[in-house]
Amino acid sequence: MSVLIVDDHAGFRAHARRLLEFEGYRVVGEAADSASGLEAARELKPELVLVDVHLPDADGFQLTSWLGALSDPPAVVLTSSRDGAELAACVSECGARGFVPKAELSREAIDGLLR
Amino acid sequence: MTKPRAGVSGARDRGADDVRLDPRLLWALAAASTAIGLGLVPLLATADYLPDRALWIVLDVVIGAGFTAVGVFAWYRRPDNRVGALMVMTAFAWYGVVASVTEPSLLWTLGQVLSNLFVATAIHLLLAFPSGRLETAVDRVLVAVGYLATTVLWLPFVLFTDPAEFECGADCPENLLLIDANSGFRDAWLDGLGVLGIVVLLSVTARLVQRWRGASAPLRRAVTPVFLAGGALMLAIAALLAAGLLERESVSMNFFYAGAIAFGLVPYFFLAGLVRGRWIRGRGLGTLISRLGQAPRAGGLREELARALGDPSVELAYWLPDPGQYVNAEGRPVEVPPPGAGRAVTEVERDGRHIAAILHDPALLEDPEQVRAAGAAAALALENERLDAELRAKVDQLSASRARIVESGYVARRRLERDLHDGAQQRLVSLALSLRILRSKVEDDPDAVRELDSARSELDQALDELRELARGIHPSVLTDRGLDAALDGLARRAPLPVEVEQTPPERLPDRVESAAYFVVSEALTNVAKYARATHASVNVERGDGLVLVEVTDDGVGGADPATGSGLRGLLDRVSAVGGRLEVRSLPGQGTTIRAAIPCD
Repeated sequence: MSVLIVDDHAGFRAHARRLLEFEGYRVVGEAADSASGLEAARELKPELVLVDVHLPDADGFQLTSWLGALSDPPAVVLTSSRDGAELAACVSECGARGFVPKAELSREAIDGLLR
Repeated sequence: MTKPRAGVSGARDRGADDVRLDPRLLWALAAASTAIGLGLVPLLATADYLPDRALWIVLDVVIGAGFTAVGVFAWYRRPDNRVGALMVMTAFAWYGVVASVTEPSLLWTLGQVLSNLFVATAIHLLLAFPSGRLETAVDRVLVAVGYLATTVLWLPFVLFTDPAEFECGADCPENLLLIDANSGFRDAWLDGLGVLGIVVLLSVTARLVQRWRGASAPLRRAVTPVFLAGGALMLAIAALLAAGLLERESVSMNFFYAGAIAFGLVPYFFLAGLVRGRWIRGRGLGTLISRLGQAPRAGGLREELARALGDPSVELAYWLPDPGQYVNAEGRPVEVPPPGAGRAVTEVERDGRHIAAILHDPALLEDPEQVRAAGAAAALALENERLDAELRAKVDQLSASRARIVESGYVARRRLERDLHDGAQQRLVSLALSLRILRSKVEDDPDAVRELDSARSELDQALDELRELARGIHPSVLTDRGLDAALDGLARRAPLPVEVEQTPPERLPDRVESAAYFVVSEALTNVAKYARATHASVNVERGDGLVLVEVTDDGVGGADPATGSGLRGLLDRVSAVGGRLEVRSLPGQGTTIRAAIPCD
């Protein structure tokens, strides 16, 4: 499965890429904010986009809505190191498949949400 | 014992103390005027050609003495104000007219030369009344033309008139300046001068009306009688000139007498105005002192002073030495206008300290001692109000600085949360992901897997604690997603069902959202800890400059802000943003916490 990672922390992007690739995903690109994330999704057409909730320009919920409006929309999984419970309502409203806390990121967790 | 003092500020008013006047000059002028006025009496009595001799004697004495006495008095009281000097000058000019109807040739000739000068000094006096200054260019032009017309332009009449023409028979005085008895040229010149005179006199009258209409109430009280009498003189002389132009000599003397009698009243009206104003204000001062004894309500001092001074426009400004500025009774800064800005400023001191300023109509400076006396009488009350105003200003400063502290605390907490999130939290997250990869790589070694799982469990706990810490410092969801999402998150995290009924759809100022969030968060924590409730509800509404936050539960009640430190902290937090907190918690009837937070 092809994955695009959108997160403003380069350290997290590097570790997430290593983990997801180790577990069998194909990471096709990385982006540091919503605008370049949307651009990369248009260009690379990944099957999955992993989106950080907090991004420097528009936030992850906004990016998720934009991605949902693409002609061939990818699945979106939101992630954050902040508390997921407080974000639950927003996660379901914006059209994401679900939320994974950053520390619990794994192929298993993502596959669970996509099933 | 306190010794109240008052002073008048402004360079213009300080000038009053700088004008030094030798009283001997005034005595000499008064003596000279009396000598001339009385010396003319026998000459009038013996002027056989003159009709109305008795009336002339009365006018000579009454007008001369009136202008001299009141002029000298006014000059002595206000040496900086030209009104007194103008009145004395008018008295001497008046003797010129009187001399022009006597028999001795020298006196008659001199009198003829000066016979119209009093009209020019009267114009000057009226237009300069009561300040002593000619305020506009129009006034200055009118006065200048008045002096020119009654001196230089009048002289040809004297040079070409033989008194023998005027049916005075054998008693006729001789015109010592006669060049040629040319009545044709003289009458043509006189007609022109008459037209000019009428224009000037009517213009002066119009200016008096205009100035009267534009005058403030206290100024109007001071000028009305003087303007009426002076206006009557202007119109009477204008009528006299008009009669001359129409060759109706027979009625013209009656106009002259009417104008002269009105004119004669000017000094007496002026004096009456002074006495009346002083009497009214004196009475006002008595009332002021007795009312001050009854401790006027806050802010009532201004009205008392306005009544005592007869000036509804009175304003009070209290001096705060610390920031070095004037404030009003509410403690808000006010500007005190500079001298000459249309308002007069009288500063009030107490025990040598400047405490306040009375802003009033400049007309009251006609009698500055009245304002000083009122200020001195009210000094103690002014000091009291000044202290009140100072307190209010301090309270304003304190709440402003508290608001700044709240704001800077908010900013600092937000930054701290971000630093935790971007720093330690991200590193620990990366570490967790690395551990996960490592665990997969050593899956065949059960000891290593056990060690890694134990490390992972420690790490998860550290991440949880860090997340809680960051959220307690500042809930980022509030900044990112607003109050609705943040309260929804609080409700989900609570260990009992919590319903968020409504929240304002729009974003509110940071300090308001932050305080509202804190109220709900703290209230729900209390519910979970103590209330033994089965259900709670949260409601946030906006209305009338306030945001109302209400958290209600169906628990055991009995919460008391005086004992619980949580509620105490809530109270402090809400009042720091200028809000109010209300706790209703009767035993057995649940608890309602209601906060009202100002929000424009």
